Amino acid sequence: MSAVSVFMSSFGFGLMTAAVLAIATVGFTMQFAVTNVLNLAYGSVMINSAFVAYYFNARGMNAWVTLVFGMVTGAVVSWALNRFVFTPFQRRNLAPITVVIVALGVDLVGTFGLQAIVGGGYVSFRLAPGQEYHILGMFLSGMQLVILAICAVVLGMIHWLLKYTRLGKAMRATSANPNLARNSGVKTQMVISTTWLISGALCGLAGTVFAMNTGVFEATSAQLYIVMLLAAMFLGGPGEPYGAMFGALTIGLATEISAAYISPQYKEVVAFLALLGMLTFRPYGIFGSEKTN
Amino acid sequence: MSVELSQSGQVLTATGLSAGYDGRPIVQDVNIEATPGKVVSIVGPNGSGKSTLLKSLVGVVPVLGGTVSVGAKDITNMTPEKVAALGVGYVPQIDDVFPPLTVKENLEIGGYLLARRDVATRIEAVLEFFPRLKVMLTRKAGKLSGGERKMLAMGRVLMLSPSVLVLDEPTANLAPIVATQLLEEYIRGFADHGSTVLLVEQRAKAALRISDWTCVLGGGRVVLEGAPRDLEQDPVFVESFLGGGTARHQAP
Repeated sequence: MSAVSVFMSSFGFGLMTAAVLAIATVGFTMQFAVTNVLNLAYGSVMINSAFVAYYFNARGMNAWVTLVFGMVTGAVVSWALNRFVFTPFQRRNLAPITVVIVALGVDLVGTFGLQAIVGGGYVSFRLAPGQEYHILGMFLSGMQLVILAICAVVLGMIHWLLKYTRLGKAMRATSANPNLARNSGVKTQMVISTTWLISGALCGLAGTVFAMNTGVFEATSAQLYIVMLLAAMFLGGPGEPYGAMFGALTIGLATEISAAYISPQYKEVVAFLALLGMLTFRPYGIFGSEKTN
Repeated sequence: MSVELSQSGQVLTATGLSAGYDGRPIVQDVNIEATPGKVVSIVGPNGSGKSTLLKSLVGVVPVLGGTVSVGAKDITNMTPEKVAALGVGYVPQIDDVFPPLTVKENLEIGGYLLARRDVATRIEAVLEFFPRLKVMLTRKAGKLSGGERKMLAMGRVLMLSPSVLVLDEPTANLAPIVATQLLEEYIRGFADHGSTVLLVEQRAKAALRISDWTCVLGGGRVVLEGAPRDLEQDPVFVESFLGGGTARHQAP
């Protein structure tokens, strides 16, 4: 295999990783932006949502239709986490690290609780990969092209939401200055709840397409995904949805291309190094500004 | 000024007001009444509780005792969004705009409670009042100069045609000439068109020039109040806030 072929092939893998990561990171960073919660339980909500979708798929439902169940699970679980776990802790005016630790605990409970229920074995969606396409040296299956299309549509919708709708502007205003938003008449609690529902739906969708794209998965498959999420978020700028898209693309490509030349085992290491680099040299990310962070 | 920018004012009243954080009062037993067509200013040294007082009126800081009302409506400890819906526009001293949002988006958020079809018309009205903002509609608020930013902050509250304007040091960090324009042209203008204006101002001389009534806050309490011309005759006030001169003698 020529060097160009290796590169383009890994570029294709990177594109897929980036697509899934972009959906996940946008939701992750929206939660952080609007409620200031670094939700380290995000990965566990992703994989739980994937298993709910898988449950219906295993009983004969079309895999693409089960995405809806993954999204609903992600939305409901995320909303409930915020309402019943994170918000009560935030109201007690504890140090921000407290909520981070709580989220970490929720992640462990969510992941290993799921494992206790479904067992430790690998499962896979009943989903034919479809015809393989050879595009610019990349090998992409029909299924992967659908996932790419879903990613493009979802990110387009998020852009439309944030830029052109009242709700989206209220979300950005609440993120920038919640007190001023309230003084302007914005019901910020409703905005925050809606943000958790939307970002949770993104989380559930990301988890389900992650599981589909991975092929086989089990309860702990997304446990290290948080490293990728953090790297992508900090690269783009914490709380910056457009930065999250950029960060996801960069991290997705960097990890898969490096995997082709080093070893796939070091994917998370590459992401972690990128995260360390950003925190060292530009902690507010490419799209963020020192002032706003 | 476009007459439809603000509504006819309502009386804003604080009676025996105590307010503060974590149950500890910063302001105590304050009585203030701001009436339509008048500017009531609050002056006082740093740390005297001026900002806390305003925040408690608009629902940002909890009221620990006493009452706040707008017209006949009791708004004590009402949420800020409900206070805004009752026609009380509040411009904080700092963090008075949404930096990542464009000027137009800031105004749109200001008009969040309006019917969708009315927002564009309202923005046009506000831009007629602050024409400098017209050419920077797509610029992010965080990129504006101090004066432009303050105009945007004022424009944002005008989106809801407030009947009561509560302004916390609107001239802070502004060049003197811009501060004078803001106070004498715009803020006095709001009152002259019937709005109720309650203003906290660090520049006591400038505040007196546009005020109908002035309260002096010290240690969280009103220690002195009166019409500006009377305060200018008060030796303690003159010594403390006018640097030994009188407001009328200062150059604008």
